[in-house]
Amino acid sequence: MKQIRSTIKLLRRSPYQALAAALAMSLTFFVASIFVIVIIGGQLVLRYIEQRPQIIAFFKDDTSEVQINEISKEIEKTGLVSQVKYVSKDEALAIYRERNKDDPLLLESVTADFLPASIDISINRAQDITQVASLVKNNQQVDKVITPENLVEQLVKWTQTIRFGGLIFVASLLSISFLIVIMVVGMRIAIRRDEISIMSLVGATKWYISRPFFMEGAIYGVIGATISVLLIYVFVLFYSPNIQNFLGPIQVFPIDPLFFVYLWVSEAFLAAFVGIIGAGIALYRYLKIN
Amino acid sequence: MLKFESVSKKFPNGQVALEDVNLEISDGEFVFIVGPSGAGKSTLLRLLTREVIPSGGRILVNEQDILKMPKSKVHLLRRKIGTIFQDFKLLLNRTVFENASIPLEVFGIKDAEIQKRVSEVLEKVGILEKAESFPAQLSGGELQRTAIARAIVSQPEILLADEPTGDLDPHNSRQVVEILEKINKEDKTTIIMATHNTSIVNHFKKRVITLKDGRVDKDQKEGKYEAD
Repeated sequence: MKQIRSTIKLLRRSPYQALAAALAMSLTFFVASIFVIVIIGGQLVLRYIEQRPQIIAFFKDDTSEVQINEISKEIEKTGLVSQVKYVSKDEALAIYRERNKDDPLLLESVTADFLPASIDISINRAQDITQVASLVKNNQQVDKVITPENLVEQLVKWTQTIRFGGLIFVASLLSISFLIVIMVVGMRIAIRRDEISIMSLVGATKWYISRPFFMEGAIYGVIGATISVLLIYVFVLFYSPNIQNFLGPIQVFPIDPLFFVYLWVSEAFLAAFVGIIGAGIALYRYLKIN
Repeated sequence: MLKFESVSKKFPNGQVALEDVNLEISDGEFVFIVGPSGAGKSTLLRLLTREVIPSGGRILVNEQDILKMPKSKVHLLRRKIGTIFQDFKLLLNRTVFENASIPLEVFGIKDAEIQKRVSEVLEKVGILEKAESFPAQLSGGELQRTAIARAIVSQPEILLADEPTGDLDPHNSRQVVEILEKINKEDKTTIIMATHNTSIVNHFKKRVITLKDGRVDKDQKEGKYEAD
């Protein structure tokens, strides 16, 4: 406790360096938090789309229910699909009526015979859409196949790119924060050279001398992570209605407040770790005790 | 007991600071190390705290060869030794009290005990009334008293004084050495003081070891020093 108090006292004596290090950390972790949320959001969007019937196959009029059942079984056998749902002509008519109930003109003279029977296929993994779609298309009884494959493929590509780009971007920011911590702690070692030499002379251990610097590194990290999570919380509160509007039925918000607690704890640990390692390198490089 | 056995020190630039120094200093002795600048006085003191490693020979502190001591144990050696310097080496952003309490803080002594021991020691060196002053508010003599307080607060067995009167006027110089003499007598602390202040050495009539070109030139029990 005494050690923490004296470290805080030291930080207050040269607040600008401390501020620079803490802000570099908070910027890094703010950007990291955005990427975490975007990646998690992307996963939710993907999962939502994956759970929808991604492929709808319409059958020719002369296809019997038995044939459709056989085709369904064949598709299920691939193991790539989670569900194959048969929609009969009557059910198709019911859906049609429901969708167009406000437009009686469209309902007139439409009978079940006009509408084709179909199957809705849900795929386990978005990547397998093309494979399943081509299998369905090859069947002679199938008249038409509708797939959102392009959308899903694009989404998968986007999330992968964001994940990769985010990783590189955050890694670069992390390196910068790391270097700033090394620089700031190095400067503080230089400023306190007299004190260090006196402490060493009166019999302080190397650990006793190094400890405040390690603690300083950890404090930069924890302050940085805290600022970043507070910022991201405000950011999410402010923008979530707009983003949710854009996403429509895909439920991403509101984010569970516990998520921010987990985010803070994990970022604080990671940032403190970065701070401690940075301080360690600075000490190794600049702390010379005879 | 301190013992130097054939100790020599040659710096990497080729300068020979000490050569074949053999010395024995008993517990509780007060010794002046004298000699011109560059004679090796400071090096001799710094060897004792292992700030400097000799090129050859052995140094024994209480029968223990300090050169064989692992680096991780050097702090234990330093806890037995107090040091004062010509330039005081006080921390300017700490008060007299805070400066004097540094060794006790390092040793992890509790605040109440620090308060008690530092007050006692400040009274002993006659600077208790300045306890809350900062070094910039003190005279040379007061600065050196603060440094002495810091050096003795942990009750070391040995006190090394490297030109402690170098920056002081004759009056303050004499007072500082009187304090050292008092510490020597009352606490039985071994005192080794490097100086080239002839009047001080000649006034206090202690053992005088004269160094010349890194060698022990003279070792007199109640010696005198006549600067060249």
